[in-house]
Amino acid sequence: MESTRRDVTKNNKVIICENVSKTFEGKKGSVNRVLDNISFSVRENEFLVLFGPGQCGKTTLLNIIAGLEKPTSGRVIVNNKEVTAPGADKGMVYQTIALFPWLTVMGNVEFGPKVRGVPKKERQEKAKYFIDLVGLNGFEKHYPSQLSGGMRQRVGIARAYCNDPYVMLLDEPFGHLDAQTRYMMEDELQRIWQKEKRTIVFVTNNIEEALYLADRIILLTNCPSTIKKEYIIDLPRPRNYVDKRFLQLRKEITMNMDKSQY
Amino acid sequence: MTKANRSERKKVIRSAIIVFAAFIAVWQIISTLTPLRDFVPSASSVISAFIRSFYIPIGKHTMPHHVAVSLFRVLVAFGIACFTGVILGVLMGYFRIAEAIIKPIFEFIRPIPPLAWIPMSILWFGIGNTSKFFIIFLGCFTFITVNTYVGTKSVDPVLIGAARMLGANERQVFLRVVLPSTVPYIFAGLHIAITAGWSAVVGAELIRSDDGVGWIVNMGMVTGNTVQVMVGMMAIGIVGFVLATAMAALERRLCKWNQQEGM
Repeated sequence: MESTRRDVTKNNKVIICENVSKTFEGKKGSVNRVLDNISFSVRENEFLVLFGPGQCGKTTLLNIIAGLEKPTSGRVIVNNKEVTAPGADKGMVYQTIALFPWLTVMGNVEFGPKVRGVPKKERQEKAKYFIDLVGLNGFEKHYPSQLSGGMRQRVGIARAYCNDPYVMLLDEPFGHLDAQTRYMMEDELQRIWQKEKRTIVFVTNNIEEALYLADRIILLTNCPSTIKKEYIIDLPRPRNYVDKRFLQLRKEITMNMDKSQY
Repeated sequence: MTKANRSERKKVIRSAIIVFAAFIAVWQIISTLTPLRDFVPSASSVISAFIRSFYIPIGKHTMPHHVAVSLFRVLVAFGIACFTGVILGVLMGYFRIAEAIIKPIFEFIRPIPPLAWIPMSILWFGIGNTSKFFIIFLGCFTFITVNTYVGTKSVDPVLIGAARMLGANERQVFLRVVLPSTVPYIFAGLHIAITAGWSAVVGAELIRSDDGVGWIVNMGMVTGNTVQVMVGMMAIGIVGFVLATAMAALERRLCKWNQQEGM
């Protein structure tokens, strides 16, 4: 079993994207350039938000970091190793939530340790810890179809955490939730992250969400995406949506953001 | 099950009973009071013959024996069909090469009705039970194969990606993601297949035999005994209904997770 524990002795840049570009080749030789020469790095335990207009390639970039897609050129390094395939060192949380519907909450959360060969008692204790942490104590035997959208995504977060990943990749995880649940889940994610610090890359197209959660925001342009600007967000946590500085930053970033192409 | 659900079920059962009673009443009226009476044996004569068949043999055996023999034939054939159908379906759905080889042959064989196989079946397997297994097998295995194939093809690629991200290897992706997500499709196939297999029993028992519910119908036809034909049809209908209901219950039990949003 491969260890996925943090190795911070070499440097504290746990994700490094080097000149990542991605082109999709359509039918009849048409070429669609999605990512253009993107370079950035993420520090250990940093909460990084990739922010940009809809359809700008944020998800593609996240999939490349995850190893689910290959870059056309450039490379991604996670934990001092070049990413070549998906794997347990990267925990993924999906917009579509993507729970295994035939498994209970417990079955979903313990899936990662189970396929990696962690003994039953150990993995179930661990799964229980994360189920409790995301606030689903008592729902262990429920199936996803019996849970609300917000609860399902809590399971998604617990499932990613329980595998003890080196980095967490969240792809618009609250995009399908209603506004109220969304605010609550943002608070919850922040609480969980402050209890169990991890390096997080969070993709969103919602400026409020980005400002509320991020240590740093990387603003991407329209396709082909490049990095337009970076913002260090040093507002104290928990943040206030109507705080003066918050609104000021919100205005500034929104002004700088490209119009969505769609 | 919730209270609302249960009263809903009660309503369904009650209306089914009323519909059946009305059906039998209309049948009885048509078969005794209209000019059609020469073509339709009366409901009372069929029902009483049906009840009598439980203690007075039709041919050499009573009704329970006929039903048991037919059930045995169907269940053996259905069992073999499940096994081969699921394996073929998964192979076709998961491996491109298997799909390329099996699918054309399968699509060619599929439209040939089981009855058309009887002559070849007798030549290959004789007139014993093996031939009957074969005919019933042909009647149900296509449904299982097609459904399994479609199910394996329609596994959500995001779920496969999610399993890989959690560290699953090829074998684990197959066993823990592809197979379980195919199960509801397989069950839908089994559901159609058990009914189709059971209705193939009449055809299968055209091949020389002296028992089975299909034989009752066939023999009634040969001897011009319409009451006996309808007694056989009635037995087939009742048992078929029970089989389909049992299958649905099994599915509900095994695919609890697949039930729609219910909190």
